[in-house]
Amino acid sequence: MSSATLYSVSYFLVNYVLTHIGSVLPAPLNAWITNGDLVTGLAVLVFGAILLGASMINTIVLIWWERKLLGRFMDRRGAMHVGYAGLLQNFADGFKLFRKNTFRPREADWLGFFSGPTAYLVTSFVIFGILPISSGWNSGVLPLSLLLALAIFSFAPLFIFVSAWSSNNKYSLMGGMRSAAQMIAYEVPLLLAVVAVVIVSGSFDLTTIVYEQQNYWFWGPLFLALVVFVAGMLAEMERIPFDLPEAEAELVEGWNTEYGGMLFAFFMLADYLRALVGSILVVLLFLGGWTMPTWVPSAATSFPLAGIFWFMVKTYLVFGLFVWIRASLPRVRTDQLLRVGWNRMIPLSLCAVFLAAALVLAKCVWPFGCLPSMGV
Amino acid sequence: MSDPVTATEKSSDNPILWVAKPMVTAARQFAKSLVRPSTVIYPYERLEDPKFRDQVRIESGKPIGVGPIWDNYRGVHALNIATCISCNLCAFSCPDLCIEMVTVPGGDPKHPKKCPQIDYGKCSYCGFCSDACPEGCLTMTTRYELSVTKRSEMVYSPQKMFGIYEQKLPMHPIRVERPANEDQILLEPPLCIGCNACARDCPTQCITMLDIPKPEAKAGEKVPKRIWKEPVVNDSDCVRCGTCINVCPKECLFWGNRK
Ligand code: SF4
Ligand code: SF4
Ligand code: SF4
Repeated sequence: MSSATLYSVSYFLVNYVLTHIGSVLPAPLNAWITNGDLVTGLAVLVFGAILLGASMINTIVLIWWERKLLGRFMDRRGAMHVGYAGLLQNFADGFKLFRKNTFRPREADWLGFFSGPTAYLVTSFVIFGILPISSGWNSGVLPLSLLLALAIFSFAPLFIFVSAWSSNNKYSLMGGMRSAAQMIAYEVPLLLAVVAVVIVSGSFDLTTIVYEQQNYWFWGPLFLALVVFVAGMLAEMERIPFDLPEAEAELVEGWNTEYGGMLFAFFMLADYLRALVGSILVVLLFLGGWTMPTWVPSAATSFPLAGIFWFMVKTYLVFGLFVWIRASLPRVRTDQLLRVGWNRMIPLSLCAVFLAAALVLAKCVWPFGCLPSMGV
Repeated sequence: MSDPVTATEKSSDNPILWVAKPMVTAARQFAKSLVRPSTVIYPYERLEDPKFRDQVRIESGKPIGVGPIWDNYRGVHALNIATCISCNLCAFSCPDLCIEMVTVPGGDPKHPKKCPQIDYGKCSYCGFCSDACPEGCLTMTTRYELSVTKRSEMVYSPQKMFGIYEQKLPMHPIRVERPANEDQILLEPPLCIGCNACARDCPTQCITMLDIPKPEAKAGEKVPKRIWKEPVVNDSDCVRCGTCINVCPKECLFWGNRK
């Protein structure tokens, strides 16, 4: 695991390039170009660009991963022809959408129609600036990074509702209503499940939470919280079996019925970005993040970028679980969804909170072991 | 708990099973498809490859139909022009009216030889024509790649189908067994004038004109003016094409059952 943070890498890159450009320029320009503020500013931009590119590529590969897995679940092969095993198919699809004309229904509200998808995509991107992918990923301590990530994550219903309402289409509006109802209903158990993790780890900082899992990963003792969290995430990501907001059989395409071309691609990308964030959160909170158990041979965890490697492996496996659920279960009805949310998930998550409290009191639980002493 | 929906749900399966069962099913399907999914990667793999020959099976473990499934495939027709007897039965039986009988070289000038020409823009690959063909010369092959750039190229002439026949693709000549008491060609003797038209046009040459005795003239009656012959149909050779009925000028031949 490297000690360089992503920011320090980008700072080094910018500094290196600017010093070399400056060395061939005359003195006043040289001084202006290598000045500290410019380097810092550019380094922040490069940092953002790297994150943007990485999350974009991961999102698109995630779509490929889903298509391949879903194909196998359905006795097919999934994308096959473009690139190795269809790996480039989704890049081609994205490029096609990018070239398409962007249009707006005549009666649709201009501002809401265009700002909705944009804000939806941007807020989904912003979360990536907070999530630690590996040790030393973030430059400093973010004491409330978990809360911040979840807060940004829960912006989505607002933007979905804005774009649904401003599309001026009854299906969009119904999809938006459903989306809002569903997301608000599942926000509560989701956060309560997170509370269980916070109680055990004693911190809202994602990096600390990961290090608190050095003795055992939280999925074992906090299995109840994991179940609630995954169910809540499924509802938040609007994936089958909780994809009521865009139930194709009833609502055409739900709240993005009126969107085409690049704006549709925004929604699609943001959906998978949120799926990626959801999988990453499951890995961070319950599966030990980038750390591996001690019985894993050290050769497997000490090569360069091993942390990122194992983190991505876990993330894709968790997303595979989501795909597995999607391939197995039918869509639930709205009343079932809300009843399960309010009547089952909230009591279950409260139980998980009490279990977590008991775990903290007991300190050591067979067969998992003890909590590390650095917490609380 | 007066909600009927809740009541029925309560009586149904355990909710854990409700989630677990389909997930186990999906996982089993996933594991199976890792070995080999059902998909045939068409341009690279083809169903006619021997390795697929015995793969498609029905539940009991036996291939569908007789032999490998591929033998029952209904693709483009093959026509053996040499054995076609121009009986027209294929065109009769076609539900889509896509068969037209066109002249091919080889017949005598008085009775040109006609063979089927099929418009694949209309054909539904029902296979009725090859079922009906009494000579087994119109069969269906395993060829399925038919895309063309012009509508007119969809019409396959007899010669083109003969070309397919000569490729010796897997074919299945289906000869449908005659029902035991099928209708036969019967004659209404008083109407017949012995004109020989039926015997001349019968594609299987199964009609023979036999002499009949010329009756003695009775008082006050004239002997009808006609040729004193009558057709006799060799029923085992007759393919039931109906040509004789169609060409008879006096409409004295008809379908009937003597048995
Ligand atoms: S297969 Fe059926 S539709 Fe096609 S030519 Fe023969 S009888 Fe007509
Ligand atoms: S049914 Fe057979 S023999 Fe008769 S015309 Fe058609 S192809 Fe020829
Ligand atoms: S139906 Fe008439 S023409 Fe046709 S084969 Fe029989 S006897 Fe000959």
